[in-house]
Amino acid sequence: MKNKSKKTSKTSEERRESLAKLLQEQGLKIYSELERGEFPKFSVPSRSVSNIVYDKKLRQYILGNAASIRSARNMSQLRSFTQLIWLAFFANRLVQEKKSSTLRDIYYSSQAFSIDFEDQPESDNIIVDLEAVLARPREDLHIFPEERSSVFGDLTIEYTVPGYEGKRTNLSDHPDGYLIGPSLSSAELVDTSAELVIAIEKGGLFTRFVEEKVDKKFKSIIVDTAGQAPRSTRYLLKRLHEEMGLPVVILTDGDVYGEHIAMVIKSGSANAAHLRELTVPDAKWIGVWATDIEKYKLPTIPMTESDIKRIYDLQKDPRYQEGLWKKELEVFLKLKRKAELEAFSKYGLTNITDKYLPEKLEIAKSL
Amino acid sequence: MSSSKESFNQISPSEFFYRNRDLAGFSNPTRSLYTAVREFVENALDACDQAGILPDVYLSIKAVDDEQADPKPYVLTVKDNGPGIDSKHIPLAFGTVLYGSKFGLKQARGMFGLGATMAILYGQITTNKPVVVKSSTDGQNQDEYELLLDIQKNKPIILKHNTKEVSKRGLSVSICLEGDYSKAGSKIRDYVYQTSLITPYATITFEDTKGEKFHQTKIVKTMPPAPTIIRPHPHGIDVETIRRMMVDSHFQIPTVDNKMIEKVRKELGLKKKNLNHSQIMEKANKRWPGLSRHVRVVISVMTFLKMDFEKLSKIRIDDLDVANKKLVYWDFGDSKSISIDLDQESDYYKQLTNTVQGETLISFLTKRFQRIGQATAIKFAEFANLKPEKRIGTMTNQELVKLSDSLQKFEDFLSPDPSCLAPLGEEPLKKGMEQFFKPDFLEVVQRGASAYSGFPFIVEMGIAYGGEIQSVGQTVYRFANRIPLLYDEGSDVVLKVVNEIDWTRYKVKNDAPLVIVSHICSTRIPYKTVGKENVADRPEIERELRLALQFLARKLATFMSKRGQAEMEKKRANLYSKYIPLVAQFCTELADKKKEPDYKKMLKMEAMVEE
Repeated sequence: MKNKSKKTSKTSEERRESLAKLLQEQGLKIYSELERGEFPKFSVPSRSVSNIVYDKKLRQYILGNAASIRSARNMSQLRSFTQLIWLAFFANRLVQEKKSSTLRDIYYSSQAFSIDFEDQPESDNIIVDLEAVLARPREDLHIFPEERSSVFGDLTIEYTVPGYEGKRTNLSDHPDGYLIGPSLSSAELVDTSAELVIAIEKGGLFTRFVEEKVDKKFKSIIVDTAGQAPRSTRYLLKRLHEEMGLPVVILTDGDVYGEHIAMVIKSGSANAAHLRELTVPDAKWIGVWATDIEKYKLPTIPMTESDIKRIYDLQKDPRYQEGLWKKELEVFLKLKRKAELEAFSKYGLTNITDKYLPEKLEIAKSL
Repeated sequence: MSSSKESFNQISPSEFFYRNRDLAGFSNPTRSLYTAVREFVENALDACDQAGILPDVYLSIKAVDDEQADPKPYVLTVKDNGPGIDSKHIPLAFGTVLYGSKFGLKQARGMFGLGATMAILYGQITTNKPVVVKSSTDGQNQDEYELLLDIQKNKPIILKHNTKEVSKRGLSVSICLEGDYSKAGSKIRDYVYQTSLITPYATITFEDTKGEKFHQTKIVKTMPPAPTIIRPHPHGIDVETIRRMMVDSHFQIPTVDNKMIEKVRKELGLKKKNLNHSQIMEKANKRWPGLSRHVRVVISVMTFLKMDFEKLSKIRIDDLDVANKKLVYWDFGDSKSISIDLDQESDYYKQLTNTVQGETLISFLTKRFQRIGQATAIKFAEFANLKPEKRIGTMTNQELVKLSDSLQKFEDFLSPDPSCLAPLGEEPLKKGMEQFFKPDFLEVVQRGASAYSGFPFIVEMGIAYGGEIQSVGQTVYRFANRIPLLYDEGSDVVLKVVNEIDWTRYKVKNDAPLVIVSHICSTRIPYKTVGKENVADRPEIERELRLALQFLARKLATFMSKRGQAEMEKKRANLYSKYIPLVAQFCTELADKKKEPDYKKMLKMEAMVEE
């Protein structure tokens, strides 16, 4: 076991403290504006399409400089302004008390403070506003989405959530894997013997990998992204890469959506352009490529109209303008067929772990 | 030769109307009942208007037999407090067609009082019951007549006539007619309601056959100024009208009766003396410049007759035929008609022909029309290529047509005199609408007089918004000469103008509760159809309507934006006092402070600034 360096990233405790400070600053700013008899205001970075730009240096989408002022003086903004300050207030309590909540919780919690959200999309939207104002993901604010993915492998963590402070767990102790939830997200990463992180799109394959001891055979931590990777999962991948120095490889279905799942892990999504700590720019997509479909003679199914439309859409994205990403899109478009990870089962249930995975990991070294 | 023999019989006006009753609105029991109501109510209101009396009109419709199914006979009674009708005129007024007093050019609801006679005629042919007329002109004695109409002879048949003492002046007319109140009822109620709206100086009561009562006491206590009768505008007449005016303008040979002879003697200073013919002529020659026109004509006639006063009193002058130079008279003594030749060379001949040939064109134009002075008349004669001195009595048919056409085309006439119009006035209209709709906003406007084809008109309009108005979208009440127009609104010019306006420009939503009252006054309303329910879209009228509506809409927009602001302020204050305390509470905890910031001062200041 080796203890990896933690220099590249802050510890959970540091992050928590800096966030608390950020929240207090916002509170103080508004407090003093009120004291001076002024209507308080927030500057909210604009999330409109025109303000989302691709930053080649950061290798992800970021927000431009455009921002809008949300003022309590403006009738049409007063309500959402109050919602925003309430959310900051509520998140502050969550952080202070080390409690977590879900998006749906937020929607209902508001009602106890005479803050009314018309529906959950409205409250979800305010949460994104606050993320943009603070430039911190909602997970830092202890607000989590419902969907959860899993992780398995030799990784020792130390909890920071109340009641578990200091307690350590090894993530290879439970064969179904561990849910990537609030407590795991806020835990300190202590130690690992793994040399690699394998992110895989599907729960079924995740279980197969655990059964086939991929963690041991390839000295890896296996992460189930459960489709498009949730923020907490992407955040964990980033920490594994930065804090533990592990390379990340991604295995998806052989279709355009799979390719994009890999891309989002690597360089984020336009939806989260206001956040910068969710990407693993060095992550590598190792399959299933369009070219693999022919090479491994995988059974295929035809693409749908929307699959093809999606290819054309992605071809306009600046990240798909070169190399592997561009080439595979073109081949998908030529084939007009796709193959799932399970397609390897045609050649035996362990074909994917015995034959395909080692070959692709070898190729990945040269990517 | 044809074996069939066509016979051409003259028919009486009564017969004519009987055969063409559809034209007058008596086509079926539903329409007939409604038309009859209108005719009598409008006659009552017109009578009061003309006499300057604030009208008090009572209308009742009662079924003769309640149990019977519609259509069935109804008794329709309309009672007013107007001037009444002289007893001797009643049989002719109610028992013949075409007997009326409403000739002349001024605005009135009906034209000739024909409609009422039509209703009586319709009642008589459907129920065979007489019309009952009660009239008191002095408020003390009342004449009551029961009349039938002899359709073939166009003569009244008096069934009953008696007099009694009463305490109220006015006229009451009651007819029995076949009608369908179950179908006509809603229209009649609308009519009465809208008539009350446009006649706010009248008290109107309506009792229907089911005992339902509508009563509207007068809202204003002053009559709108009465219209004056004026001469026609040159743009508004046709050849036939000119012909009639010319006949009218001929100076008539005065009736040579004893009274006239006395006058002639007086002017010649021969009151007591009896002179022979040549002595009289000698005297007349001396005094000629000082003689009146009538006397000159009589002297001229005497020249040709070669008679003295004694002889003159025994004849009747029948005809003066200028073209054939003949004078025809009736000799009472000999009981025969005598014709004599006129000497064309005589000075007196000229005097007579001037009289018979009528005025000069210039004098005809300046005296018979409005808006034509001496200068305009001369300019016009030049334009029409007619001699200014031309006697109108000598004009040929072609010249008449030329005159008529030129009168239409000449553009230098001033626009028609609107003094013959009787608009309601802004104040009464406003008060009426206020009482009827109790709106949040009300504005009225009376446009200046304008004219189309020589007919003057004035547009009055009112707009009411909100308050007790329940309707979704606009309700338009159309009036013409104080008559509500209920049918055919789809093709009406008022509706066209209202529909074309873009309400959003005036901050009015399309479903806003809005009432628009439009009143067009004119000596002739350009109705599209005989039914007289929709006004044609003459550009001049359309323009005035549009300007009136735009003016009102701008006023409404000002009101709406003020109201919008006030509502906004209130909403603002509410929102601030709801949310700012919350903001204070949250930021206090966020900032880790103990005491909340003092935001109350700010809210107060805000409230003051906004006020």
